[in-house]
Parts: sequence; C-alpha cells; structure tokens
Amino acid sequence: MDNEGKYIGADKSGWFDDPKHVRIVLYALYAACALLLVADVVLYALLHEHPHFNIEKIPGFYAGFGFVAFVVIVLLGKQFRKLVKREEDYYDR
Amino acid sequence: MIDSLPPGGIMILGALLIPFLRGRLAAWWTLALPVLGFFHFWSMPEGTIQTLQLFNYELMPVRIDALSRIFGLIFYLAAFLAAVYALHLRQRLQQTAATMYAGSAIGAVFAGDLVTLFVYWELTAIASVFLIWARGTERSYRTGMRYLIIQVGSGVLLLSGILFRLSETGSLAFNHFGPLDDPGTALIFLAFGIKCAFPLLHNWLQDAYPEGTVTGTVYLSVFTTKLAVYALARGFPGTEILIAIGVTMTLFPIFFAVIENDLRKVLAYSLNNQLGFMVVGIGIGTPLALNGAVSHAFCHILYKSLLFMSMGAVLYRTGTIKASELGGLYKSMPITAVCCIIGAASISALPLFSGFISKSLTMSAVAEQHHFLAWLLLLVASAGVMEHSGIKIPYFSFFAKDRGIRCPEAPLHMVLAMIVTAALCILIGCFPGPLYNMLPEVTEAYHPYTAPHVVTQLQLLLFSALAFTWLMLSGIYPPEQRSVNLDVEWLYRRLAPNLYTRMARAVGRVHGSLERGVQSQIATLINELSRYLGPQGALSSSQSTGSMALRVAVLLLAILVFYYFF
Repeated sequence: MDNEGKYIGADKSGWFDDPKHVRIVLYALYAACALLLVADVVLYALLHEHPHFNIEKIPGFYAGFGFVAFVVIVLLGKQFRKLVKREEDYYDR
Repeated sequence: MIDSLPPGGIMILGALLIPFLRGRLAAWWTLALPVLGFFHFWSMPEGTIQTLQLFNYELMPVRIDALSRIFGLIFYLAAFLAAVYALHLRQRLQQTAATMYAGSAIGAVFAGDLVTLFVYWELTAIASVFLIWARGTERSYRTGMRYLIIQVGSGVLLLSGILFRLSETGSLAFNHFGPLDDPGTALIFLAFGIKCAFPLLHNWLQDAYPEGTVTGTVYLSVFTTKLAVYALARGFPGTEILIAIGVTMTLFPIFFAVIENDLRKVLAYSLNNQLGFMVVGIGIGTPLALNGAVSHAFCHILYKSLLFMSMGAVLYRTGTIKASELGGLYKSMPITAVCCIIGAASISALPLFSGFISKSLTMSAVAEQHHFLAWLLLLVASAGVMEHSGIKIPYFSFFAKDRGIRCPEAPLHMVLAMIVTAALCILIGCFPGPLYNMLPEVTEAYHPYTAPHVVTQLQLLLFSALAFTWLMLSGIYPPEQRSVNLDVEWLYRRLAPNLYTRMARAVGRVHGSLERGVQSQIATLINELSRYLGPQGALSSSQSTGSMALRVAVLLLAILVFYYFF
C-alpha cells in the first residue's frame, strides 16, 4: 500500500464532528423537502401548466419518484453486489 | 506556414519539443501550447475549409462549422485547465503524450473526411495509452495494453468501414452516413460505439481510467469518449437505435457505481452513464435534442474533469482513492471538498449549475417526442447520478467517517485549476445564454429556468438526498468494501484466458497420447524394418547379380500380368 502523505494523530475536529451541526443540516433538508411539496401544490393551482405526460400531473410526482428510485437503486445494488463481488486481487491471481 | 496548420496542429507539433525542454520550461510550454493553439484556432472563421489532394481522392483535413467549433472550443478549454492541473509534472514523456493526445483529439473534431478522422483517431489511442503506462507499475502496463488493443481495434474497424464505404459510394466525406444497412456504415458505427463505450463495449473505460496517473485521468476523461460523441452527432443523428443504446448506458452503470469502492472507478461508471444521455439526444435527432447532446457534452467535460481533478488531488495527497479508506477529508482539504461538491451539484443537474441547463434540453426533447419509456428511465438514471456522483463521491471522501487522515490541501496549481473549472460550472449554470448561442442547431429560444421545472428538478434531487439520509440512518445503505466487481471485462480477463489454458491443456493431452501412440508405432516399424534391412536381415545379405536379375524379371512379369488383366 502506498501511504505517502498520510499521517495520523493530528486531532483537528471539524464542524461536522458536532452532532448538533449534523442535525442542522438534516433539518434544513427536511424543511426544503416540505417546502418543495407546498410549492408543487401552489404552482399546480396557479399555473395550469400542461406537462407532456399525464403522470406528471400527480402532485409531488417528482418527489416520490426521486425517493423511490433512489431506494430501489440502492437496494438493487446491494443484491447486485452478491452476484458480482469478488476478492480485490481476483484478476491478479 | 502557421496558417496552413490544422487546429490541433500547434499542440501536436509543439508536443514534439517537450522532450528537449527541461523542468519548469517544459511545464510552462505544456501550458502555453493550448493557449497558442486556441488563438490560432479562434482566428479561423466558421466555414473555413482546407482540402488536400491525395492520389485520386480529395481530402478535407480542416472543416470548421458550428458543430466542430463548439467541440474545438471546449477541447481547448479543457486541455488548458488540465495543463494547469498538471503543472507540477516533471515527466516529459507524460507531458508530451498528454499534449499530443489533446491535440489529436482536437484535430479529429475538424476532420472533414474519413481518412483524416482515422489518422487522428489512432493518434489519440496511441498517445493516450502513455497516460496509463506513466504510472510505471506492472498493473498499469497490463491495463494499458488492454486499453491500447481495444482502442486500436476500434480504429481498425473504422478503417475497414471506410474502405467498404469507399468501394460502395466512392466517397470519403465525413457527413451524415444514413441508415445502418450496409456493412461499411455498420462497421463505422461499431468503431464509434467502442470509443463511446456502448453497453458491452464499455468496459475498457472502467478498466483504464482508474489506472491512469493523477493528471492523466483528467485528460482521459475529456477527450476519447467526447470525440466519439462528436463523431456520432456528425455521422448518425436521428438513428433510432441510439435511443435504446443510450438509455441502457444511463442505467446499468448506476448499479456498478453504487457498489464500487475505487472512487475514480465510480466516476468512470458515472462517465458512462452521462454519455448515455448524450447518445439518447443524438438518437432522437431533433434540433433541440442535438443541441441537448452537444451542450451536455460541453458542460459534462467541465464538471467531469472537475470531479476527476478533485479525486486526483485526494489520491495525490493521501495515496489512496478507495472509499473504504477515506473519509473526513474536508478538514484537511476544504477547497478541494468545495470544488468537488460544485462538480457533484453540476453533474446532478441542480438548478444554477451547468448540468441543469444542459440536461434539461435533452429531457425536454425526449418528452416532446413522447418517448414515455425513455423519459421515465432517464428520470431513474437522473436519480442514479444523484446517488453515485452527487452524493457518494463527495460524501465518502470528504465526510462520512473520519479515518484520521491528515494531509495538506492540494498544491496551488491544482487548487487553481479546480477553482476556475468550478467557477465555469456555476457561471454556465447561472448564465446559459452564451453557451446556447453557440449551439449548432437553430431552435426556438429555450428557457430552463421556469418555476415548474426548477421545482420538479429540486424535488427529484432533494428527495433523493432524503432517501440517502434515511438509508444511512437506518443502516440499510451498503457499506464500502474492498472488492472487485465483475463486469464484461471478465470475459476477456478471466473466461478467455481460462478457456485458452484449458484448451492448451487438452491439446497437450491429445498431443501427448498421440505422440506416445505414434512413438510405439514407429518403434515397431523400426523393429520390423531392421528385421529385413538390419545387418542380419534377409534384404541386406549379399546376393549374386544373377538372383537380382531374376527378381527384377519376376517383378516385371507380375506388372505385365497385372496390366493385361486389369
């Protein structure tokens, strides 16, 4: 292993080491998500846009789609790993 | 004389000087070349054409139109930024190769005929392999070999396609090829497909790019595949099958990217996924879709090199790029972290970043043509981009678990290259006008920043982030593990060598048994022969001339009788 430039021990603590700060980020994300759902409903009521596909008319379609697609990708990836994962030196043996 | 040089010529010829320069001078020369080359290229107006008579054929080494011009511009820009990033290099072979590689890719974009294209096509292959070999390990040597064989192979297919077409149509022009119904066109399509990393032909990319040097991979990520995108946009716009190919390309790399541990390999899979969006745009082929593909290539070159620069800086400082060994680096490399996040936001197509204003064009074109399935799958792929490039890359290197690695921030010139590239990503994202004006096709004005578009895109991305948060907090998210994940390369790195060994063994066995069998037969034969011909054999005893004459007479008689009756 090439470990050049790696030195361990300097205990520099960062902003994210404080769980409080992590919570701030998470709450901001939750708030932004909630706000986006509200914005969706408001825009739908105000603009009467005609999207290309009917499926887009479902309120919060993109939000739900993003969430579900992401989870499905990760879960499928986990199963996929069982199929294709080999030892790191597989090709070198 | 300078005037008659093709664009890219200054970089290719200038690169030949690098081996004779020393230290800093060589480094600054590599930086000066893209600048000189750019001004030379920019002084040539659109519509410039240079022709050349070769035997009976008219070649066109230079053709500057809107499509080639925008690719030339971004190639020069990327070559310059990569040269800034690589300013610390003192390996003249690598500097020469990188400059020549960039120069030949630029030359290829302006090729107006297929022979010129072929020459540059092979030159990019040969020059670029040194960016992998420059690592100087046994592993990189083997990887480089595989890469070179596949790249040169693509060139050989291209040449065969060109010759087929020449004999059928008598033309060497590099324009729209028409339908894929003759062998020549199909071969050229295949050659482009290899370089563009079509599904099943893709694996050279993930094999080679993570093995490149810190700076070499930045160069690699820019030119080869985007040259292929350019070639497809020039030769095969509106080819229906590209939609299916492109959609597949956006999807399958996602799953590899989720579980891959080598972060530069994650970026290589992500690069494959991005190419898919461009290929879909080319396949749809409407003016809006083609503009989508071209602008996506433009923006992609910037944010992808930014991501490779940031991961290269991590590799340069820490000596590793494995997610399982990294984490918490935002404390040591804050500027690199911020630049990486900007790259991640751009590739995820977050509003105000460059990916948003380019990917939207393609998505709108897909929707306008009512390709519902393609549209839905590209939406899945967009969530996938958010997963592997938007979150995984910055999160596991700079945040996640602090592994105690403390190192200095990236060197000044690397930081500078990253900051400028990041600034460009934001600038283009906020002010897309100048880029839109340069696009090759004429369409009605496109406005990416409408309220519904911004809201829906933010929903897609932020709820993806929400899903990530949930998966992390609940412990469902798969941990980063040291591993190799099998891909198509298994066929030629494992199956074929195994088959070969087995076949060699089987042949060996058959050969062995044959040999033994034949040997015993020969031994019997020799024994038999020596019974008659040996010193004691009947045939070697000395006999009188008379008996000999008698025997000959009997033999002749036998032949006569034989001929008489039969």
